[in-house]
Amino acid sequence: MYMRRTSAGTWIVVLIVLLGVAVGPTIAAAQGKPIRIGEINSYSGVATVYTFPYKEGLALATKEINDAGGVLGRPLEFVHRDDKLKPDEAVKAARELVLQEKVDFLAGCITSAVGLAISAYAKEAKHLYFATHCQTSRLTWDDGHKYVAHTTNNVNQYVRVAARKAATLPVKKWAHISPDYEYGHNMWEEFSTYLKQIKPDVQFVQQNWPKLGETDHSSYITALLQSGAEGVFSSVWGSQHINFLKQARPFGLFDKMRLVAPSVGNPDELDPLGKEAPLGAITTGFNPYDENMQKWHPKLADWSKKYVEWAKARGMKDTQPKLGASWGYASAYIIAEAIKRAKSTDPDKVIGVLTEGFDMEFPWGKVTMRGCDQQAIPPQWIGVVKLGKDGKPTMGDVEEIHGKDIVRSCDEVAKLRAAAAAKQQK
Amino acid sequence: MDTITGLFPWITNGPLLAVQVLSGLSVGMFLFLVSVGMSLIFGVTRIVNLAHGSFYMVGAYLMVSLMEVLPDRPWAFWLALLVAPLGVAALGAVIEMTLLRLIYHRDPLMQLIMTFGLLLVIGTLVLLVWGPDNKSVSRPDILAGSVKVFGQPFPSYYLLVLGLAPATAIALWLVFYRTRWGMLIRAATVDREMLGALGVNVAALYTQVFAFGSWLAGFGGALAAPTVAVALGMDADVLTTAFVVVVVGGLGSFAGSFISALLVGELQSFGILVFPAISIVLIFALMAVVLIVRPWGLLGRPEE
Repeated sequence: MYMRRTSAGTWIVVLIVLLGVAVGPTIAAAQGKPIRIGEINSYSGVATVYTFPYKEGLALATKEINDAGGVLGRPLEFVHRDDKLKPDEAVKAARELVLQEKVDFLAGCITSAVGLAISAYAKEAKHLYFATHCQTSRLTWDDGHKYVAHTTNNVNQYVRVAARKAATLPVKKWAHISPDYEYGHNMWEEFSTYLKQIKPDVQFVQQNWPKLGETDHSSYITALLQSGAEGVFSSVWGSQHINFLKQARPFGLFDKMRLVAPSVGNPDELDPLGKEAPLGAITTGFNPYDENMQKWHPKLADWSKKYVEWAKARGMKDTQPKLGASWGYASAYIIAEAIKRAKSTDPDKVIGVLTEGFDMEFPWGKVTMRGCDQQAIPPQWIGVVKLGKDGKPTMGDVEEIHGKDIVRSCDEVAKLRAAAAAKQQK
Repeated sequence: MDTITGLFPWITNGPLLAVQVLSGLSVGMFLFLVSVGMSLIFGVTRIVNLAHGSFYMVGAYLMVSLMEVLPDRPWAFWLALLVAPLGVAALGAVIEMTLLRLIYHRDPLMQLIMTFGLLLVIGTLVLLVWGPDNKSVSRPDILAGSVKVFGQPFPSYYLLVLGLAPATAIALWLVFYRTRWGMLIRAATVDREMLGALGVNVAALYTQVFAFGSWLAGFGGALAAPTVAVALGMDADVLTTAFVVVVVGGLGSFAGSFISALLVGELQSFGILVFPAISIVLIFALMAVVLIVRPWGLLGRPEE
């Protein structure tokens, strides 16, 4: 009995060692020593609907970069870790990646809380961190510092686009429903202040703050019905947003008020909603199959096809070229470009390049990495939820507004940072 | 903030108030279906089943798959509503026979770890089988719209829920108090050793009860599927609220679950109107108060 148990244990140890040996060196076989980037994101549970397409976009770009000779003659390699949506898990992973895996850079994040936590760690460890998927403006503005760069747009940019469109509607009385955490507050703050700025006679008549992940919204819906609002802004997102929209429709909410909901135009929400989609809602998003989009960006069709084939070959259940996929794709290229321009993986040299800023062309248009805040400024799209030719809801009547035309200026960002610093000193 | 007008405009609006009450009732009915199963399982097996929310989630996902497989006919929804919970009951029976049976005599902490493990394992299996995408089930056409309640639109699907849940409650009562099987279950909650000594096959009874409890959770999930996004994470969401309902009502008490589910449903509904900022806290405050005043719950029995 004793002997048998030992031998089983021994076999397992041998197997683990063999696996470690087998997997370890083959990755690095291609070229020189890889440039390693520790990438932290939520790869289990609810967020995977966004992070899986993002990860595939990232992987596709990485393969293209490496096939074309890599960066500084070295292959790019992302080492992924799961943060389980928790800031403390993310920081633990960041520490492990820096101290044990000896990664050259950090990247990742889907929730704002995780992004801010990794950013704080990066500042302390003097390690450069590329925030990729989370959206809070605080990341590079109020709480910005030189060790954090943001490779996708922030809340300010796409909410301002939505507010600009909302200002053109014949709606004066607004209510809102936003999840009660960092992102929801950030969204409502940006939307309401910008809308008031460009259309001073608007009124904000009622507010709803369901908790993040709330499943039953009927009470908020009846509260909205009573508010007398003519328009409702919703920054609820993901499965919670589907819950809200499915529950609100039979109450006739959207017959009474116009909906502005930045996230609803994404296929993650429109596909499951199907015939229950809120037609006519104003939304932001990314629809590479839209006619206007394909006219403005001739390379987009090829890119979408390439992505779909890639996702299929990788055995993904979800093969649509979603916003997240474009973000992952862009992030890998932006990181590679910064290292190329710096001609080094030394964080201070790469930061030097980032503070100068640079522009890059993507199949969906120009993305500016702005120097003063190391913040990406991509094109933004706004449209209306409509039924497509196949009878499925989609984002149509797409208009493009480049982020640079609406984003807060470097001076304004400097003021935000100064205000945040003053607050901290108190 | 000066533009935010009116503090409680709803007080004077009778029809909307009625809709609010009805919404709260329907929320309570969903909660009842889920929590009564959890309470039943605890009453008989003394296991706090943290995987109960997972059965709810599997019920909803089975509903999605069945609706995809079945032809697009009006009866498809009703057939799926019948079959999906049965699938969950079968899953519950298998889990009881293969895993839980091994830990009935262990430390309660061990049992918690086991059911918590099940929560994680089922969550991951659902991700593997159905993928990370949000899913959705359409309401059957006849219940897709709304009916006027005092002139206000009210979703007609909720009327189905308002009918089915009390019907289930009455059926449960009949089963528990008017059948031999129900009598055995009640006996098992009082003294299982004695029941075994009297020649009753207690092991089989436990499996049946666990499968039945799972069926209730699956039924709740299948019935809720058209009103929510069927998505990962719905297991933990429902578990938290169901747990509050069960604790407030009294672990193992069937009528307690019913009353407490209604209480929690209405509290959520009106809490948002009266104290929007702290509405989340209200149900936990209720739980805290009940635990202080009656630690065994509203209709539960004190432990000896």
